[in-house]
Amino acid sequence: MSKPVLQLENLSKTYTLGKRGVPALTNLNLTVNAGEFVSIMGPSGSGKTTLLNVIGCIDKPTNGKLLLDGVDASELPENQLYKIRRDKMGFVFQTFNLLPYLNARENVELPMEGQGKSKVEQKKRASELLALVGLSGREEHRPQRLSAGEQQRVAVARALANDPAIILADEPTGNLDSQNKQGIIKLLANLNLMQRTTIIMVTHDAQAARNTERMLLLKDGKIVKELPGLLANKKNHTCPHCGSRINTTDDKCPTCKKAIFATDELF
Amino acid sequence: MGITSRAVRNISRRKMRALLVIIALGFALSIMISIPAGVLANQKTANTVASSLSNIINQTGATINQTLTQIDCSLASSNSGFGFTPPSGTSGSSGFGPPSGTSGSSGFTPGQFGGGTVGGQFGGGAFGGGQASPMNESLYNDINTTISGIASVEPILQASEGNNVTRNLDFNGYTRTITTLDVTYVIEGVPLTADLVDNYPILPTNITAGSNLQAGDSGDVLLSENNSAYFGAGVGDSVSILGQSFTVVGIYSSSSVSETQTLYMSLSDAQAVTNNTGYITSFVVFAQNSGDVSSVASAISAQHPELTVTTAQTRESTLSTEQSTYTAALASANASNSKTNSTAIEEIVVVVLATSLIVLFVMLYTVKERTKEIGTLKAIGFSNSTVMGQFMLEGILLSVMAGIVGIAIGSIAAPTISSLLLPSVSGTTRFGGLAVASLTPELVLLGFGVAILLGTLGSLYPAWRAAKIRPAEAMRYE
Repeated sequence: MSKPVLQLENLSKTYTLGKRGVPALTNLNLTVNAGEFVSIMGPSGSGKTTLLNVIGCIDKPTNGKLLLDGVDASELPENQLYKIRRDKMGFVFQTFNLLPYLNARENVELPMEGQGKSKVEQKKRASELLALVGLSGREEHRPQRLSAGEQQRVAVARALANDPAIILADEPTGNLDSQNKQGIIKLLANLNLMQRTTIIMVTHDAQAARNTERMLLLKDGKIVKELPGLLANKKNHTCPHCGSRINTTDDKCPTCKKAIFATDELF
Repeated sequence: MGITSRAVRNISRRKMRALLVIIALGFALSIMISIPAGVLANQKTANTVASSLSNIINQTGATINQTLTQIDCSLASSNSGFGFTPPSGTSGSSGFGPPSGTSGSSGFTPGQFGGGTVGGQFGGGAFGGGQASPMNESLYNDINTTISGIASVEPILQASEGNNVTRNLDFNGYTRTITTLDVTYVIEGVPLTADLVDNYPILPTNITAGSNLQAGDSGDVLLSENNSAYFGAGVGDSVSILGQSFTVVGIYSSSSVSETQTLYMSLSDAQAVTNNTGYITSFVVFAQNSGDVSSVASAISAQHPELTVTTAQTRESTLSTEQSTYTAALASANASNSKTNSTAIEEIVVVVLATSLIVLFVMLYTVKERTKEIGTLKAIGFSNSTVMGQFMLEGILLSVMAGIVGIAIGSIAAPTISSLLLPSVSGTTRFGGLAVASLTPELVLLGFGVAILLGTLGSLYPAWRAAKIRPAEAMRYE
């Protein structure tokens, strides 16, 4: 049914510090299908961010293959890679990384600039995306007038601008309070459920990870464990608590009345 | 949201820094355009100095050649003219007394005319410009025939006209009333014969309006520009001189520094109008060739010991000295001009380097400061060339704004800046007026071009650095 949008085959990444090679990723294999929401967890220094950067084509693997939509991106030169980043990837960063001198809408328009869309189209799409992340009416506000959670929503809208194949989120909740954490995770989960957006999220927040579909545990540059997340149950229409049937729109199991996702209190 | 408006917003984001940079660059650019302006002005002045000096040198040379055969003869020494004014009381008339007033017979000798009176002492001589004593023309008519080697003789009658002014002067406690002549114009009568007019320098040559006097002219007058202003008359007008009407045929400009008050007419007209028929004040003997000058001069002196005889030799040595002074001045003007040029080149090199370095460091700092932003832009799909273009554009925009400031400063302060930074051409005050730098449209365009060029050069490396930043590293940068 779903075809793989990302395949990593024996992928390794070694940083060079002086004359010493420091392995960050070793012989890593991973397949992500279109429409999946994958979280990558692991202790500091386990290679989470490196993995995300390699997938996002902002860092090159030392060895192995990186297939995006079946195309090997590991050997592409920089003048091809930026197009992949622009057209196939959407980045969400821990520190939001909005341009402070641009307003929300202009920030969302940024990735569309290189694609040859007209100004009117860019503006229209940016406004639609801001509405989708719940920020309609805030288009003209600059980042300093937005809360941290709102800034991250703008960043999510920016990541969606070019309708990417994969959204890569690096600790998207790392700089947010619990309420905003929950909001962003719900936003990402809803995007995944409604728009079937493929999301790969790096986090060391266990509760955030639990609400995704697949939880990967990374240790010393290797995937050591994979667990299903709560979103998998929702997609299977199966309550994680009692096993009875649920709908994707349900927040609670209609049978056992328990919350399907990790609840507010859990954050 | 285009690259340009982003560049503008980035610049305006840090207003104080942008302002300081623009002012600093603006000053550098104003220096850069003021120096060529100064060089151009200096060049112009140097050319003026050189051409006026070479004119003087040529003129001096021509005068030396022209007057080589000329022998001036007059009764009086150079400060003569004593007693050559009318007896005090006859105001406003001719500068020298009509012969009728004195028993008008044989030769005038110095002192014979009103000698001894204070009024006479301050008459035509001292204040009227070295006017000579009159002499009876007929006494010298035979010179041409009795002395060999003479080509031609030019009798001259010169008379200063003006108003007698009476003043009380204090001489060691004694108050004396003296009368002086304020000269308003000088009549010079020259014989308008075809031979003299055609072959000898008896008339001015620099005619600015109308034409020169012709052989045989009568009732005509050639005015200096000074005279023309005094009489309020132009070519074709008639002027009244001592009650007699003359037609202005032309106006000449004197080649000397101060405009002369001398007007020219025929000798007979001059003699008639000043009531001096038969009298002259000096004559010029033209020797047949320059080798004869000294023998002719001594023959004249022998025959007429009362005459003061001046030959070309004495004049020539004075003129030669003058000429060598001018030649030296010309050489020094040329030397100082080339010094100015080399100084200008050195200064421009320094300013260009300084300007590029300012842009370079400001842009390097900006790139470093915005590493994370660059990383973000590249991560979300900006190409290297777009990032590079963005920073180039910022540098160029800064320089263009600085260019505007520089042109504004330059248009006000170009003369000050160039005079501070450039050595001035020597001799400018004497011969050409001081060099005043001013901006031409070409220089304004040049300033703009240089601003854009330096902005491009200075931003090239920082922008390249920005383009080469690896996004993964930029993300880690805080």
